[in-house]
Amino acid sequence: MKGLAPLFLGIFGTFAFSWIGLTVIPTWQIGHLNPESDEEGTDIYPRPQSGMFERGGHVYAANGCVYCHSQQVRADYIADDIERKWGNRRSAPRDYIFERPVFLGKMRMGQDLANIGARAPAPEESPAPTGAASPAAQGAAVSSPPAEAAAKTAKASPPPSQAASPAPATSPATAPPASPASSPATAPAGTSPASTAPPNASPPPGQRTGVASPSPGQMANTTPGGSSPAAPSAQTPGAPWPIQTAGLPPIYSAAWHHVHLYAPRSINPDSNMPAYRFLYEKRRIAGERSAEALQLSGSDAPPEGWEVVPTYDAKCVVAYLMGLNQSHPLKDVRSVGGAPATAGAPSPAVQGASPAPAAGGSPAAAKK
Amino acid sequence: MNTTGIPLKDPAVSAAAGDTEQLERAYIDASTRVPVLMFYTSAIAWLIVGTVLAMVVSFKLHSPDLLSGISFLTWGRLRPAHMNVMVYGWASMAGMGTAVWLMARLCRATLRFPLLLAAGAAFWNVGVLIGVGAILLGDSTGFQWLEFPRYVAVILFVAYTLMASWAVLMFRHRRGDQIYITQWYLLGAFLWFPWLYAAGQLMLFVVPVQGVLQSAVTWWYANNLLFLWFGAIALGTAYYMIPKVIGRPVYSYHLATIGFWTYALFSSWTGMTRLVDGPFPAWMITASIAATILTMIPVATVGLNHHLTMKGYFPLLRYSPTLRFTVFGAMSYTVFSVLGVLISLRSVASYVNFTQVSIAYTHLGLYAFFTMTIFGSMYYIVPRLVGREWRYGSLIKLHFWASAYGIGLMTLMLLAGGFLQGANLENPTLPFSESIETVLPYLRGRSLAGILMTVAHFIFAYHFGLMLLGLGRTSTVPTFLNPVEAETSGGH
Repeated sequence: MKGLAPLFLGIFGTFAFSWIGLTVIPTWQIGHLNPESDEEGTDIYPRPQSGMFERGGHVYAANGCVYCHSQQVRADYIADDIERKWGNRRSAPRDYIFERPVFLGKMRMGQDLANIGARAPAPEESPAPTGAASPAAQGAAVSSPPAEAAAKTAKASPPPSQAASPAPATSPATAPPASPASSPATAPAGTSPASTAPPNASPPPGQRTGVASPSPGQMANTTPGGSSPAAPSAQTPGAPWPIQTAGLPPIYSAAWHHVHLYAPRSINPDSNMPAYRFLYEKRRIAGERSAEALQLSGSDAPPEGWEVVPTYDAKCVVAYLMGLNQSHPLKDVRSVGGAPATAGAPSPAVQGASPAPAAGGSPAAAKK
Repeated sequence: MNTTGIPLKDPAVSAAAGDTEQLERAYIDASTRVPVLMFYTSAIAWLIVGTVLAMVVSFKLHSPDLLSGISFLTWGRLRPAHMNVMVYGWASMAGMGTAVWLMARLCRATLRFPLLLAAGAAFWNVGVLIGVGAILLGDSTGFQWLEFPRYVAVILFVAYTLMASWAVLMFRHRRGDQIYITQWYLLGAFLWFPWLYAAGQLMLFVVPVQGVLQSAVTWWYANNLLFLWFGAIALGTAYYMIPKVIGRPVYSYHLATIGFWTYALFSSWTGMTRLVDGPFPAWMITASIAATILTMIPVATVGLNHHLTMKGYFPLLRYSPTLRFTVFGAMSYTVFSVLGVLISLRSVASYVNFTQVSIAYTHLGLYAFFTMTIFGSMYYIVPRLVGREWRYGSLIKLHFWASAYGIGLMTLMLLAGGFLQGANLENPTLPFSESIETVLPYLRGRSLAGILMTVAHFIFAYHFGLMLLGLGRTSTVPTFLNPVEAETSGGH
């Protein structure tokens, strides 16, 4: 090659082209998004997150959660993320504007977490009387995921006692936002042992078989003699998830996350997640058992007179997980199926937007 | 020429001129001795650390209770530690060692300012050490290949500035007008890296971009590091080693020019293929997919050029360790790029995007392509630095086969497992756990492949250690993989 100038210019030019093209122009295009609000300016999404959420994000980063969990829901015409109940619409750039760092993720050795907070039980659920199952819909609950689950459950030999203890099905109003078809047909799935889905299989709404927790932000009532006696009885070794949770907190509640982080395989025997015990403190019970103590059972349970409590980092990472919620509709993204009715998302607005005939002209659809 | 008809010596060099040139080369080689050996020794030490970490990471992935419960041994910390040790400890240092040596030789000047390089290498080692410690202690940033915290980035950047300024100074003191192909790639790598690293750090940590753009910057960075830093060094090395060993000029300069510029232009745009179907404007991803398809142009031209250079000389692969490793690397470049095109296509990406296939892709690039090429260059360069020949041809052979079978098995396992995992992920009638259970046996197979590669690396480190201690063979004949029937002399 003759001449240095062309070489150096070329080296700089090609790289500048890539740098400007893939980072500078996108920053100019989508790098300064604002939250959306409705006409009155009251229903603002997304909102800035709490300090605990932010710190939890760093705990999430430090412990490498991102190497197994993605946080992005792909559109329904591309992939089956939505069918897996990982969200009710595709993720959009606007969903992430207050997150730093953002963890879109590149691997799914674990489930997608984009809406893990939305899949938590709503706080309103807690006062719901136990055993408020709606038997009317029970017979209809034979869709494909539960059927698959049935096979799985059968494989793991469920004790028949499950049927005897009808878990409280959530009412349709508190159905998780992640389920597009929050029809009553699938809602009470959890009440029948034959149709309970395994934990990994994008649980249908009714799967929250556990005793309702006070609130997502709080631990379930675990004073001695409270719900703890229920746990051992339900702990059949090797039993599938719904049975094990009988005495445990509802799925994706804060208490559930703590138990899952501390002992993943106590909740789901098939789980491939490492235990994060170093985020928890095992200590002697001083006086009263702490309200924060984890409801553990079996070999994971601390010895008599001891308890396992979350450290501040553990509380933050759970706050982070509970805050991951993209169920709120966005104007330019088509939501699929039923309306999310969670703690955070006001349902009336959602109901109007969800069928989304307006999506035809939206940028998201235009991209296709 | 020997009786086998294989030219094992540079035939272009006539006796008188050859003596002067050989003397000159020997002087240049001697001047690079301390800095290059410093880079190589650090790199191989990091390689061993990274290999051990890799084994633990691989086993923990299918046996999650192994060594769990200890914060700094948790999988999510060991994995970035492994990646960063390999990327910044092993690959970058080994690549820089080779690049320094090539630069000195191709500038036809004895190495000046060795202190710049020594200081750079020392700072770099300190940076990687602190960075890996920080990751294990829970101070990772969580961005792929940029996990080192900010204070480490500063150290690395200082170290890098020292080395890059050396390269520029060295280039200014070159003799002769001709700038060889290898130098294009090396100059490119030396100039691209600081821009890339600075842009990544600035846009993620100093003045962070908003929302999903952080992911865009991360993957833009990671892919460019793979192509424009490691890839450029490896291609430059191959352009030097293959003609050198077989004693024949590169087939076509014209093809090489096309290959270089299309490589620089297209491969730098491929980053977004890791985020197909993600929450981005569609044009970004489409542009990256198009660029990935266009990388077939440099692949074809570079591959063709190497092939036509090698034509008729393939039997030499039986003897020369350098050639065997380098040709393996050059061929892997084609495989790596073709796989890159395949998995970037939207229809395929929707299946494999979140599976082990992306791990296979990265390892093909960083190991089968880059690392094997660099191994080849080390087998050529180290004897010229220590004045001894490699002691055991059998160990080199073992190293090659363990590495080659290791990376081959690993790629196959991860590809097969990843495709099945993706197929199950995209089948909503199956529970999610099914996709994990499908891939677990393949991950165990990957661990097996990892054992092979571990063996290879320990053998290589041992052999390199012998060379460092001056325990190599004193001979004018290089160590061949298989005995050459007739007495030969000269370069290998």
